[in-house]
Amino acid sequence: MLQEIFAFLYQFGDAFAFLVLSAAGLAIIFGMMGIINLAHGEFIMCGAYVTVTTARLGLPLPLAILCGALAAGLAGILVERLIIHRLYHRPLDSIVATWGISLIVTQTVLILLGSTMPGIGTPLGSFSIGAFSYSEYRLVLMAVAVLLLIALYLLFNTTRFGLLSRATIQKPQMAQALGVKTSRVYSLTFGLGAALAGLAGGLYAPTMTLVPTMGVTFIVESFVTVVVGGADVFLGTAPAAAVLALIKAVMTGWQGQLFGQIGLLVTVIVVIRILPRGISGWFLKERT
Amino acid sequence: MNRGPRRAPSAQERSARQSPGDNLRPQAVRLAPLPGILGRLNGPQTMGRGRAFWSGFALLLALAIVYPLFVDGWTVGNTAYFFTWTFMAMGLCLIWGYGGALSFGQTAFFGLSGYSYGVLAINLGSAYGLTFAALAIAVLASLLLAAVLGYFLFYGRISGVFLGIVTLSVTLVFETFMAQTAGPEWAIGAARLNGFNGMTGMPPLTLPWPGGDLALFPGIPLYYLLLATMVLCYLALRVLVNSRFGNVLVAIRENPQRAEMLGYDVRRYQLGTFVIGSGLAGLSGVFYTAWGQYITPSSMGLTAAALPIVWVAVGGRRDLTATLLGTLIVLSAFQSLTVYGSQYALVVMGLLLLFTVLLAPEGFIPAVVRAVTRLPWIDRAQSSRSQAERERRP
Amino acid sequence: MSILETIELQKNFGGVQVARDLSFEMERGEVHCLIGPNGAGKSTFFRLVLGEHQPTAGRIFFDGEDITELASFARIRKGISVKFQVPGIFKDLSVWQNLEIALQHHLEGQGLTAEIARVLEFVDLNAAAGELAGNLSHGQQQWLEIGMAVSVKPRLLLLDEPTAGMSPDETRKTGEMVKTLNAEGVSVLAVEHDMEFVRQIADRVTVLHMGQLFAQGSIAEIEADERVAEIYLGKPDDA
Repeated sequence: MLQEIFAFLYQFGDAFAFLVLSAAGLAIIFGMMGIINLAHGEFIMCGAYVTVTTARLGLPLPLAILCGALAAGLAGILVERLIIHRLYHRPLDSIVATWGISLIVTQTVLILLGSTMPGIGTPLGSFSIGAFSYSEYRLVLMAVAVLLLIALYLLFNTTRFGLLSRATIQKPQMAQALGVKTSRVYSLTFGLGAALAGLAGGLYAPTMTLVPTMGVTFIVESFVTVVVGGADVFLGTAPAAAVLALIKAVMTGWQGQLFGQIGLLVTVIVVIRILPRGISGWFLKERT
Repeated sequence: MNRGPRRAPSAQERSARQSPGDNLRPQAVRLAPLPGILGRLNGPQTMGRGRAFWSGFALLLALAIVYPLFVDGWTVGNTAYFFTWTFMAMGLCLIWGYGGALSFGQTAFFGLSGYSYGVLAINLGSAYGLTFAALAIAVLASLLLAAVLGYFLFYGRISGVFLGIVTLSVTLVFETFMAQTAGPEWAIGAARLNGFNGMTGMPPLTLPWPGGDLALFPGIPLYYLLLATMVLCYLALRVLVNSRFGNVLVAIRENPQRAEMLGYDVRRYQLGTFVIGSGLAGLSGVFYTAWGQYITPSSMGLTAAALPIVWVAVGGRRDLTATLLGTLIVLSAFQSLTVYGSQYALVVMGLLLLFTVLLAPEGFIPAVVRAVTRLPWIDRAQSSRSQAERERRP
Repeated sequence: MSILETIELQKNFGGVQVARDLSFEMERGEVHCLIGPNGAGKSTFFRLVLGEHQPTAGRIFFDGEDITELASFARIRKGISVKFQVPGIFKDLSVWQNLEIALQHHLEGQGLTAEIARVLEFVDLNAAAGELAGNLSHGQQQWLEIGMAVSVKPRLLLLDEPTAGMSPDETRKTGEMVKTLNAEGVSVLAVEHDMEFVRQIADRVTVLHMGQLFAQGSIAEIEADERVAEIYLGKPDDA
């Protein structure tokens, strides 16, 4: 019995970590800027590729992952400077533009680096409880997901960047009048979102096959988490990830991976009908 | 082409030239050269009206009709292949360009209807025109899915962004689902779904014909069937967008709150539009599957889902004519690029989308039309022609 | 018989009460002005009446009928109409088409054309029928929206700061429009800051303060009320 409970908790934690890590970057860009970044998957891919490349060059994995996140972040700032910042008054168009970027990046990587890239094996070992065996690295990922939420909370609530960015998001004109360089805040926010995507890519790179289209693996889960969560990372993304992880763990345990995904999708469609502005909208009930 | 009411400078120039009385019936008013419902072919929501436009239309249609007589069989079949996609494009134009709701997942309906056609056609066979029954049921499946999905989306009053990502998620999950149906247990009747490799072996559309059924393989008869359906859909949609329904649709796009406060149930109009547009995507799916007797899960994937957005955005999403022409042009450009490898063609598509958004957000065809109608000599010719039209009216 | 009546209307946003025990009544055929300092709950009250917000508690009656549960568009069909503070027009469409969309509910063909012409005349936009609505001057946009609001044949017209951003001349002209409409039998409820305008049109005035009904009476009574002067009129310029 205890074994089954542990197995379920492990499933749940694994799903929760995956949802939080893959959605955090998307959620920050959406929550702060109202833009859904359809190139999110490509930033994840970028993080994964850089992580694997640097790790193969001999860098220890944690540093390689940071390199991946950094590379994705810089790419994000570049994209924001070149394209997104021209489209702030046209949110739907900015989404379409990020899709264009996604197409370009995926296919260019396919042309330059070929259809797959040799990966690195999953680090750390495994342990078994009862009949089941578990990956230790997955436990690390769970811990990282929780730490990431704490770090983001501290970033947005205690640092100067957090204060300025929240001010910019709530009252852009006012922030500008007070001397905040709002365009820089937008750049950094987009960069942060991209870096978090890169981090997710780096963290999961050892566990999966590296292909140019690997972003798709993450994208449905991250979309669904953001839609259910709404615009706020802490009041939305985190609880949404918890609820969805529960559903996914149950569905996956019952019928397998695919049904976990289908369960998520059905949940999101039903949730939208009941809570149009997501869980965070429900927490902040009609405080418009 | 005449100028639509959307273009400010020309409207101003006009009102300066016209007497005040003329202003009471500005160009936004239907010229109504045809009685009743056909009068709706022209209107403020579509570019192009009057003799010049329809002469051009007739010329183009005549060229399309005689085209198969002058080219080889492969080209005819290939052009028919281009036609299969235009329905999805026109549907997206209706949902996105006119209704202002951005659906990223029209390929979900494309795939659903495509697979449905395959399953039905394999099981029903091609005798007695049953393939057309398969077509109808397959499109109906898309209409139903769109109605259910649209109900949750629009009656939840979610914003445009969420609509996009939920529809995209739906199509991606469909793709994942179909990709894992490789095993022999995934069969419906005689039809094997066949997983990632896709489904094959369904009969093409088959017309019952005196002296033996006529199977519509890619070739001249299929070309004509698709051409006729395409033209019919185009004209029907023109009537729709210039009707009361279309008026409300653009009103919702411009300002949903005001539309609601004029007494329109915004949700119902959006749902209706979504269902019609998705049915058209389904029609594309059926035609595509019947054309090649083949459909794969990747037709619902991320890349496939991006392509309709490219066609519609690049051509001009706010106008049916621009969408239709743009789609055909982009499709043929894409195919010529595929000679160098499909990944190169897709990079170009991505760049095209990016440049459209940055440089010509309303699409390249409206931008070109506008540039042309701004030329001074064209403008004079136009205004004397519309002067003549005004005088002819009772 | 009252055209609009609210009974103990209450609305909370999060923990904040923006409307409390709002019991309000206005007579059929009157022009009623709603005044009060910023944040008094005027806009919230409009949104509640229009169904854009659901009240936390309380009922809303329109012409004797309970409309509390109705969706916005259904309230419009019952005979309520609104002109928003920021002109809610279809900017990319022509003036003519704006009115066509407003009128096509109940008219078509020749009748529609004639009615569009009549409304254009009424809001003095004859010369601009072919213009894009977005190219009109601010005052003209306000009038166009009044024209659209009137087009749905309301029995009750809500006006949210109809003269905001207008010149004194335009304001006076707007006042004339309101009076003409009222003479045709439309009851009018207006939120307004410009006291000059209120004097021109109002039969009665209600003062809102802190989400509550604070005072009610003729314009003379309100202007004589010292408590009102304290919270509102006494301030240098709230408009």
